Amino acid sequence: MAAVKKTLSIDCVGKPTREINAFIRQAADDGVPVVELLNPQARHNLGVCVLKPIHIVIRGHVGYYAAGLSDHITVEIHGSAGWGVGDNLMHGEVVVHGNAATSAAPSIRGGTVVVKGDAGPRSGISLKSGLLVVGGNSGYMTGFMMQKGRIVVCGNTAKALGDSMYQGSIFIGGSIEELGSGCEIVVPEADELDDILKTLDHYQIKAPKAFRKIRSDKSLWNFNKHDFAAWKDVL
Amino acid sequence: MKPPLRPPTYSGVWHPNAIDEIQEKAELGRYQIRGQATKRHDLPSLDDLVFTPAGLSRMALEGYREKCDTRVTIGEGRVKRPLVLERPIMIAGMSFGALSINAKRALAIAATRCGISTCTGEGGMHPEERQYSDKLVVQYLPSRYGTTPYDLKKADMIEIGAGQGAKPGTGGVLLGLKMSDEVAAMRDLPPGVDQRSGCRHPDWMGVDDLYMKLEELREVTNYEVPISIKVGAARIANDVKLAAKADVDAIVFDGMEGGTAASPTIQLDHAGIPTVAAIAEAAEALYEMGKKEEIKLIVGGGIKNGADAAKCIALGADIVYMGTAPMIALNCHKPIYQEDYERLGTTPYECQHCHTGLCPVGITTQLPKLIARLDVEEAAQRVENFLNAMTMELQLFARSCGKNKVSDLDPNDMRALTRDVSLMTGVPMVGLNGRTPMWAKY
Ligand SMILES: Cc1cc2nc3c(=O)[nH]c(=O)nc-3n(C[C@H](O)[C@H](O)[C@H](O)COP(=O)(O)O)c2cc1C
Ligand code: SF4
Repeated sequence: MAAVKKTLSIDCVGKPTREINAFIRQAADDGVPVVELLNPQARHNLGVCVLKPIHIVIRGHVGYYAAGLSDHITVEIHGSAGWGVGDNLMHGEVVVHGNAATSAAPSIRGGTVVVKGDAGPRSGISLKSGLLVVGGNSGYMTGFMMQKGRIVVCGNTAKALGDSMYQGSIFIGGSIEELGSGCEIVVPEADELDDILKTLDHYQIKAPKAFRKIRSDKSLWNFNKHDFAAWKDVL
Repeated sequence: MKPPLRPPTYSGVWHPNAIDEIQEKAELGRYQIRGQATKRHDLPSLDDLVFTPAGLSRMALEGYREKCDTRVTIGEGRVKRPLVLERPIMIAGMSFGALSINAKRALAIAATRCGISTCTGEGGMHPEERQYSDKLVVQYLPSRYGTTPYDLKKADMIEIGAGQGAKPGTGGVLLGLKMSDEVAAMRDLPPGVDQRSGCRHPDWMGVDDLYMKLEELREVTNYEVPISIKVGAARIANDVKLAAKADVDAIVFDGMEGGTAASPTIQLDHAGIPTVAAIAEAAEALYEMGKKEEIKLIVGGGIKNGADAAKCIALGADIVYMGTAPMIALNCHKPIYQEDYERLGTTPYECQHCHTGLCPVGITTQLPKLIARLDVEEAAQRVENFLNAMTMELQLFARSCGKNKVSDLDPNDMRALTRDVSLMTGVPMVGLNGRTPMWAKY
């Protein structure tokens, strides 16, 4: 059997996205452990639909949907990410060393998305499982309509935090500008905190002094006419 | 002496329906929700058009001998595996959750026998649907319930949902009784919850984003299958142009008559535009973009028979898209199990209680006892028969207008019965044939 190369590099300049992604998928098929993308130049849809285990190192900024609809991959983005980084991730890990734009980790079904800097609005929107960690601040409507899983934001969050979340939990280290509809602030359990601190340590993110936990208060689970104040904004 | 019987003098403003509606809201404390479609009687409709088949000025085709082609292909010349439909008909996206598994099975079996497609709808792909449906459209919706790259890869077409005729601008509703353990697990929701799903996609907003989203989905399908986008007919010309700019393979829309499993009644009755009004507008927008041939136009909302389908095609649609009619073929509104309709406070023909999850005939329910009332094989046979009859009707109009392809029907094959529909569609008024009446010259 021919020896499998440990790391393959591809320079994105002048190559169509389709070719770059096909290159990554082929490498994964061939059992190459690491692929390195050079000069991504904020291109969209890099690392989309890679379904076999591989480690992808992206040396620069990426555009929309980096590592979207993928499974079993681990990705390092040495730059910032555009909208929807890690979209619909099934299993695996995406680490953004810079900031992430709107809708980081939208609707992920598993795995971990880490944004070491700040994340834009609607981070963790419709989260269905898995973990989103934001080292800095996170924008408007973080965790909107979240269904399951966990979001950890070490910094501050903007308005409508956790709005209409069904289940799952959000942990906030900084300030909360405004809580969204249908959720409540509670004190985290010791084992949850333990787990979060271990995760932050693993990703070398400085932990804040304390966390507050946000979860659904279930008031929006079923319509209740006696609670119109809660429903008028969400129906 | 008894006063003579006279009809009641109901107010036009405070009609009994308006009074009932207010009193129901006074009881519920929320807007009314119902299934199926608007109950308005005053909408311009496809019935306001008639065909003007061949006579001496044009020759008809023989119904028994001469071929009349019904096949249509989506994505031809654009993707590796275009979607070939043997008839210009698609079963609309209706979720497992809104529909029972038996209804899903029966529709998939019938569609496969007829060489047409079914569509997953909102709740994710039920494995049996893929098994039974030879041509399966997978919806990609704001809620992303059950979305996985693996299921998207199994699609014969992906339909990005951005709205539907019954409730343009709002998200889905599935009330708690229908949120069974299985439905909830597929959607990652707690069982019994009243589901409200998003009206906007979580990770794109405008058409420039959509362009990127399309590229992402094409990467998933390896650029092999077509991708369509579905909207509710409202700002249709602009929506069509934007979708064409994003370079989808097909545009799906349904008019305000479009069906639903649950929508606010007020939304059903007062939002969106009627199907007949939307088609010409949409087709014209595609012509303007120079993409009418390339991008297929799929039209739904109140399509009942082959005449409706033929008229849609003559106005510029390539394919019709139906939800309610095949449900009726399954048995919806059938006057059986009358006591259960009564228990719901309704009767067959006016039912529209799909939102309750207590469908008397086993179509829009998740209760095993009710689901068992829908025999899959018999129901599939009824839907197949209906689709066959409808196809024959479609061909009947095409042949009688002298066309050997259903897709060759055009606006000149019709006349409008009302001035309104003539104005909307550009189809000449009956009796005028596009001329000024002779007497008007004197
Ligand atoms: C029971 C039922 C469930 C539906 N579920 C969905 C859905 O999940 N996603 C969607 O885009 N449209 C859904 N629709 C709308 C249909 O896809 C389609 O647009 C509509 O039924 C067309 O109008 P018609 O019912 O008059 O044929 C549903 C409709 C019905 C009747
Ligand atoms: S019979 Fe069933 S499917 Fe038909 S309108 Fe009534 S509840 Fe809906």
